[in-house]
Amino acid sequence: MQVRVENLTHTYNAGLAYETDAVKNVSFTVDDGEFIGIIGHTGSGKSTLIQHLNGILKPTSGKIFVGDTDITKKGVSAIEVRKRIGMVFQYPEYQLFEETVAKDIAFGPKNQGVGDEEISVRVREAMALVNIDFNEYSQRSPFELSGGQRRRIAIAGVLAMKPEMLILDEPTAGLDPKAHDDILDMITSIRTNTGGTVVLVSHNMDDVANLCERIFVMSNGELVMDETPAVVFADEVKMKELGLGLPPAREFANELARRGLSVKQDILSIEDLIASIAAGLDCHASLAMTATDLSLRAKRGNPEDTPC
Amino acid sequence: MNNTIINIENLTFEYNGHDVESVKALNKISLEIKKGSKTSIIGRNGSGKSTLAKAINALVLPTEGRVLVAGFDTRDEDRIWDIRKTAGMVFQNPDNQLVSAVVEDDLAFGPENIGVPPEQIRVRIRESLESVDMMEHIKMAPHMLSGGQKQRIAIAGVLAMHPDIIIFDEPTAMLDPEGRHEVMEIAAKLHKEGITILNITHFMEETLDSDRVIILDRGRIALDGTPAEVFSESEKLASLGLKLPFVIELANGLRAKGFDIPQGILDETALMEEICSLGGRHAG
Repeated sequence: MQVRVENLTHTYNAGLAYETDAVKNVSFTVDDGEFIGIIGHTGSGKSTLIQHLNGILKPTSGKIFVGDTDITKKGVSAIEVRKRIGMVFQYPEYQLFEETVAKDIAFGPKNQGVGDEEISVRVREAMALVNIDFNEYSQRSPFELSGGQRRRIAIAGVLAMKPEMLILDEPTAGLDPKAHDDILDMITSIRTNTGGTVVLVSHNMDDVANLCERIFVMSNGELVMDETPAVVFADEVKMKELGLGLPPAREFANELARRGLSVKQDILSIEDLIASIAAGLDCHASLAMTATDLSLRAKRGNPEDTPC
Repeated sequence: MNNTIINIENLTFEYNGHDVESVKALNKISLEIKKGSKTSIIGRNGSGKSTLAKAINALVLPTEGRVLVAGFDTRDEDRIWDIRKTAGMVFQNPDNQLVSAVVEDDLAFGPENIGVPPEQIRVRIRESLESVDMMEHIKMAPHMLSGGQKQRIAIAGVLAMHPDIIIFDEPTAMLDPEGRHEVMEIAAKLHKEGITILNITHFMEETLDSDRVIILDRGRIALDGTPAEVFSESEKLASLGLKLPFVIELANGLRAKGFDIPQGILDETALMEEICSLGGRHAG
């Protein structure tokens, strides 16, 4: 399923003194199975933008095609749109309310008129996707579980509606480092298992740089960049102007380069950074070596005779 | 002169769930916090961090043991405003702690409640806003501000009470990178000015400039030491659901590749200098 946005503008308080364009003339196309990251400082329009994609907000002007349907047209059923595009809001665990985990996950599909048998299949599938054991947890109260588990249950509730596109707004906010990594691993495996499109809104540059294939950068309501992580994070000056910065590994690499050490210019992860510093140091060292030292270098396994 | 400002003795706090067994959110914690120090408290979700913060602010009272804040016992109802004047709190969600439609009124709320005379309130508002560099926003509506700016107003609201201690409970969890940076700069500045800081966080980077890092796990203290000491225990940290700060993970990674990086580097610039100096003397 393709999602296509054409010249989307959303004006809050139209006609009033505080009239603001929260989203200005944004256009993009997202193809089936893509993994998109959306970044931008607070108030840049990220949340307003994504709320259009499943019909929570209607644009002031512009069109949104979900598959072949223009969802901005009158008479288009919001329920139909929400079957196809699932939205996980910030702190979704606060939306849990049912007595048991299974009932909570079943709530969405039930509202959409899915039959009981199909619902029980979907609840099992959704729990498997978020890695929460059905036998152990399905009959427990969601309120007995940990914060990270509750968040997974809330995500399972969206997955049970079998969306073709999953949008997650800051899914790791407020989680400890382990729960943070677990949620990201879960998102990656959901994508692998369902083949669906994922849109991740995040303030964490490290996460979007290392997970997403394509990044939308929002600023003052405009889509100012739509590029791969490599291209987005190559422009340090611009990212800083936008109040965003770089993944820590890239920031560190750039500073080392400014100090004259040879490091690769496309680093996004700490693993890349460590490998590149090691290679750079070996290279510097080898220049200083005499011919008899070359055996040492061979021992360190410096692969190529590249200049530093 | 005793320089302990918070004294926690054998503190236990039990939540009484209605259909579940009572849970010990804090289990026999004993802790002394030095006046003027900066302490970071980390630990996985549900480890008891926020409960501990609330116990210091008398938002929760001990099931057992006691908490003394500047000598006041949190169980003493007559002292509750003395305690809250002494120890102010900044919470995770800025939208939940701003009460007025104008920044200036919001900052007046606390001092007014404790009977500060109006002319002094005005002075306090000005000083607090200058301290968080938000004076130009004095007449703004809080909802028109960015997340980082809202948190700075929340901090100013605490400062207007002239506290000795500020407890930050994940103040940057909902902020963008710039907002997070702004709030942490202000915490560091207030610490330099002599305010005792407690910072509860999931961002390991934010703990590096602390005098002390305390790790809670299941309501108990799992580790307690300087950042260098605590983050040298990488295996234990992983078992507690935590990670190493970037700078330490990087140093460890380079050491594992055979490079001679000294232990205990907590600062990125220092690590960069170390790496650059290796450029000339690495022997393999």
